Amino acid sequence: MMAKSDNTVTRSVQTFGDYAYFIADLFTATLRHGVSWRSVIEEAHKIGIRSLPILLIINLFVGSNLTILGFHAFTPLGGQRLVGLFVALAGVRELAPIIAASMVAAKAGTQMASQIAVMRIQEQIDALEVMAVNPHAHLIAPRMLGILLVMPALTLIAIFATVFSGYVVSVYQLGLNGTVYLEFAADGITAMDFVYCVVKAWVFGIIICTLSCWFGFNCKSGPEGVGLATNRAVVSSAVVCVVVNYFISEVLYGSL
Amino acid sequence: MSIITLKNVSKSFGTLSVLKDISIQIPSGQTTAIIGPSGTGKSVMLKLIVGLLHADCGEISCFGTDMARASITELYAVRQRFGMLFQDGALFDSMTVGQNVAFPLVHHHKSMTETQRRQRVEATLELVELPNMYQRHTSDLSGGQRKRVGLARAIVTEPEVVLFDEPNSGLDPITSDAIDALICRMKKMLGITFVIISHDIVGTINVADHIAMLYEGRIVQSAPTDQFVRSEHPIVRAFLERNLVLPNNAGEVATLPSLG
Repeated sequence: MMAKSDNTVTRSVQTFGDYAYFIADLFTATLRHGVSWRSVIEEAHKIGIRSLPILLIINLFVGSNLTILGFHAFTPLGGQRLVGLFVALAGVRELAPIIAASMVAAKAGTQMASQIAVMRIQEQIDALEVMAVNPHAHLIAPRMLGILLVMPALTLIAIFATVFSGYVVSVYQLGLNGTVYLEFAADGITAMDFVYCVVKAWVFGIIICTLSCWFGFNCKSGPEGVGLATNRAVVSSAVVCVVVNYFISEVLYGSL
Repeated sequence: MSIITLKNVSKSFGTLSVLKDISIQIPSGQTTAIIGPSGTGKSVMLKLIVGLLHADCGEISCFGTDMARASITELYAVRQRFGMLFQDGALFDSMTVGQNVAFPLVHHHKSMTETQRRQRVEATLELVELPNMYQRHTSDLSGGQRKRVGLARAIVTEPEVVLFDEPNSGLDPITSDAIDALICRMKKMLGITFVIISHDIVGTINVADHIAMLYEGRIVQSAPTDQFVRSEHPIVRAFLERNLVLPNNAGEVATLPSLG
């Protein structure tokens, strides 16, 4: 029993070490070999286009749900006006960034993991190495910089969609005063909230890109390996983002 | 003069010992074939030569560079002197044939203009008998065409050594013969060093100047082709006579003796 748990600990430490080594390799390779900015723009475009529709749909409905929940929670207390504040605090500070990250992980992260996994099993990554082209700089760096470019924009769009759908539901479904909704929502959001959202977006982007590419890079041969790598990439990205989100929120908002 | 030297090289994966104390020299300007049954470590040997894998012990030297001690810059400088044809071509799916072949030029011959690059790529495609294929997508290619495009990509930078990993695998006999004929033609035209990993003995004899046989992780015989085909070594004979998996008259499957 003891030996089994020792093995698990050793494997976990080794896995974490491999992941850290992979990230270190990515940074040194990018610095040494440079990166194609054309590829960065292409990747940013693909990530943004792929994730935007699903992100909009989810956040529009999250905003609507928050509004209805807030309305029913605050009405008995006579605080219908607080709906805007509730949507702003819960939606903007917490839900919009993490939902944006989850959608990017589901759409772009899975694509990264599966593409790189297929390249691995078809020896395309070995071919890059033999042609003296660093696969970290050629494959991963553009994806990393691309995701860093679009994640803040996607997060801000998610925030807008959440607040906007809350407004529509408040005014047209619940019959609340739209100006009051917006005033209370504005009271709940400060300029620093947007800065914090961008910080979160970058952190989540780094997590999604490195984990997805890492699982793809370490794919075992065969279609099953590709499926497993893709599955692990999206699950790990979502779990790690949620856990890290807690710590970031604790650091940024814990003392408020 | 040898261009690649392996000295007492061993490689294991976990408890599985793949290569055991291998020593071989690859002479410059000749075609050396390393043959043996599947799963004897031929591809591992090729990956050790180009530094995709690292040996557990022993020395691997390419163009005088110790591959184990080489820095990344030195390693990449050595690799630029190699071209390699992978088993299934290892073509980039997202690119056209022309883009695949141009890939090493784009990365290592940055002074070339777009026109010069295109001319070089089209000339190389003609060399491998695939003219007018520049715009074709790789998903539209047959197995033999993929190998030819892979070969074009391997030779487009005019490397000093071209490595072939199972050039005939997965091909029908006619296409396989066509690939062998192409390799022979390349050999005459380019006059460079070829290293071929294969289990296809007929094709190998036609192409190679020198043959080494790998069996159970060891080189059991290494000799010029004419001497190799006359070898009396029982494992070499069994392999040459294709006794490896063919059933004998009694319906039993003949097996090679163990090295112990």
